[in-house]
Amino acid sequence: MHEMSIAIPLVEQLQALAAEHNAARVEALTVAAGVMRQVVPEALVVAFEVAAAETCAAGASLTVESVPLAARCRQCGRQFEPSIDSFVCDRCNQADVEIIDGNDIVLTSVTFQQADDEDQPG
Amino acid sequence: MKINLVKNVLEANEAAAEQNRRRLDDACVLAVNITSAPGSGKTSLLEATVPALADELPAAVIVGDLQTTRDAERLAAIGAATTQINTEGGCHLSAAQVAKALDTLDLTSLRLLFIENVGNMVCPAAFDLGEHVRVAMLSVPEGDDKVAKYPTLFQPADVILIHKIDLVDALDCDLARIHADIAKLNTRAPVFETSTKTAAGLDQWYNWLRTKCP
Ligand SMILES: Nc1nc2c(ncn2[C@@H]2O[C@H](COP(=O)(O)OP(=O)(O)OP(=O)(O)O)[C@@H](O)[C@H]2O)c(=O)[nH]1
Ligand SMILES: [Mg+2]
Ligand SMILES: [Zn+2]
Repeated sequence: MHEMSIAIPLVEQLQALAAEHNAARVEALTVAAGVMRQVVPEALVVAFEVAAAETCAAGASLTVESVPLAARCRQCGRQFEPSIDSFVCDRCNQADVEIIDGNDIVLTSVTFQQADDEDQPG
Repeated sequence: MKINLVKNVLEANEAAAEQNRRRLDDACVLAVNITSAPGSGKTSLLEATVPALADELPAAVIVGDLQTTRDAERLAAIGAATTQINTEGGCHLSAAQVAKALDTLDLTSLRLLFIENVGNMVCPAAFDLGEHVRVAMLSVPEGDDKVAKYPTLFQPADVILIHKIDLVDALDCDLARIHADIAKLNTRAPVFETSTKTAAGLDQWYNWLRTKCP
């Protein structure tokens, strides 16, 4: 499914960040996935392993967090937290919302191993 | 060393999508992304739509498929300028693929660009292509439970087509249930019941396209 289309740019971003921070390897990372993007965490982990092979992110541990929905009703302006199967605003009974959270896939943390960490004793 | 950040993983696709949209805006072309399950009738709808609007709204088609050029051949047969993207296993189109396809089209001669996405009810919903409007299509033979099962296809849609409506009686499809499920997800999009067999609802669809064209 589309997890590979997420894993590939994710690895590219990790490579750029590692270079920027002068790091040899990425040890761990966290991705916050909005529920609207329907990311299957296990599938993203597998896709990431494949995409990261032979890069500085190979073997890094990926944690996928789920971001719940938040929306603003376009009719009355009310903010609320819809469920994925109902976007009805209970003030005006319309399902006409702007999604304000739960719509993105965001890299939220990266743990690096510094280039010189490897040589340091202990 | 651990750093915290907020980095949109799909930013490259979204930047490419914005660029496509600007390019289409500059040429005054309305881009319409058509999403549905495999076989819902996307190509059939375009085979009817492109000739019906040809005099007032000249259109081209970009069609994404896993393999084969069959859809492109069908559309070329009716005289539509068509560019095929083979995703070679990819389950959705990307903005970068659409950018390449735009290079093959003479946008100045067009008013409408249809993008037939890969038949899939999950993945295309997550990838902006630079379209102006998104069509979500459900065909009657798929079953009257599909809207509720695939909310992310229908919630952001600008128009919803319940297609192959000619089959509604033969298949014991509960149309009221489809409409009720749509009402929970999206009351903003107009819903048209269409068929390319009987031409039902096609005038409503054409009129909707006319109102959206710049
Ligand atoms: N009865 C009926 N059949 C239709 C209608 N529209 C399309 N079909 C049939 O449905 C089948 C699939 O139609 P296509 O237009 O190829 O569907 P598609 O969504 O483009 O399919 P993919 O590109 O493979 O995802 C064909 O056999 C069409 O003849 C309709 O309104 N009524
Ligand atoms: Mg098709
Ligand atoms: Zn409201």
